[in-house]
Amino acid sequence: MSGNEFFVKRYAQLGWEFKEVESRQAIRINLVNAKGKNIVGRMRDLGVQLEKVPFLVAGYWVGKSKVSVGATAEYLLGLYSVQEAAAQIPASLFNKPDRKTVLDACAAPGGKTVQLADLMGNTGVVVALDVNKKRLAALSNHLERCRVSNAIVYNLDARQASRLNLKFDRILLDVPCSGNFASDKEWFKRRTLNDIERNSKVQREILAEAVKCLSANGELVYSTCSLEPEEDELNIDWAVKNLNLQIEEVDCFGREGLTEVFGRKLDASVKRCRRIWPGDTQGFFVGKLKRKVSFL
Amino acid sequence: MNPIVTFASKFGGKMALNSEFVVEKAQRYYLLNPRLRGLARSDFYHAGLYLGKVKNGVFFPSFILLNMLVGVASNKVVVDRKAGWLFICGRDLFRKGLVKMQGSMRRGDYTLVMNEFGDCLGFGKVAAALDKAEERVVITNILDLGDFLRRET
Repeated sequence: MSGNEFFVKRYAQLGWEFKEVESRQAIRINLVNAKGKNIVGRMRDLGVQLEKVPFLVAGYWVGKSKVSVGATAEYLLGLYSVQEAAAQIPASLFNKPDRKTVLDACAAPGGKTVQLADLMGNTGVVVALDVNKKRLAALSNHLERCRVSNAIVYNLDARQASRLNLKFDRILLDVPCSGNFASDKEWFKRRTLNDIERNSKVQREILAEAVKCLSANGELVYSTCSLEPEEDELNIDWAVKNLNLQIEEVDCFGREGLTEVFGRKLDASVKRCRRIWPGDTQGFFVGKLKRKVSFL
Repeated sequence: MNPIVTFASKFGGKMALNSEFVVEKAQRYYLLNPRLRGLARSDFYHAGLYLGKVKNGVFFPSFILLNMLVGVASNKVVVDRKAGWLFICGRDLFRKGLVKMQGSMRRGDYTLVMNEFGDCLGFGKVAAALDKAEERVVITNILDLGDFLRRET
């Protein structure tokens, strides 16, 4: 079960008509480093046209550009990061992360770790994990370039996060996923339903482990860049039913999460998640969870 | 701590770091804030501010350390936009690209290289007296920000 036709049919069943898209390049200004510096003006002087992304605080689409935005002095100075627009959403959903203990459980190459540190004003602590040691060099370079001072990185599988013996006030689970065709031209050739089911299993294991480390009033944001409901709404529905979690309302870009998937009815609160079908951004899914409140 | 202090002194500056918060791991140096210091396990891969590493007896500073030196180093040059870009691409500096100079600037001294906005682009070594002819290289490039791009290729 794979191929363009198979997946396009599934998307139609989920209420979205397939269209070829190419997501727009975006940057995120690192507000701490760029304080008092007119980055938009400096980029304009370099011949880079920026357009504010309406649903992001510090995100800009890159329009016409005479230079590569990944190789300017401003980029190398950590004044901004190249980060896809939808990928900027998850870290922004936490309520007041500054001075908190935050876990970025699947952190490499570090775009969201840097964003979290920026949102925290380099206060508190970000613990960043990644299972793949080879990817940690890129994460470390990213932290150095953006002058992040409040992060600590471990080569650890997110499914073993409780070994750190820490409780986290905020947990970001930007879990490894199948990706989507908007950011991978070979996606339809590469992916099968088996891959998706295998990823879904790993994602549930990560969710279950993360809940062990979540403080009593903590917030957990789950995100993927997959369009497949097995990795998105079905996992969140499973978490609500098995991990004593509830879904929080979020005010962000995207459609409501699906509450019926291939004839199967999910918990009604799954609609509080956001599903982003490819368009100006790549495909994306995000949901915010907390421990269920007991009224006993 | 010693390699950092020694390195800073080459710019005519004195670095004041609290040794309690500087951690060495595999000859890499990190500056931790008190909260990180309290929870860091010994098996971390990266922690706090990376300051630099010692390899084959030579200290290689991080760009974070160079930025910290901006406030204490005596030797600094400010370069124009074109020279700044060429410097980031690994090139040496000619006299005509220098907008401003500060410090002793004797031949063989280290100097920070800054852009017109006060950002540190890297550092180099004074190769010739700065009042000499414009066509000469006056500062040789030792480390520049383009290193971030070169590392990943």
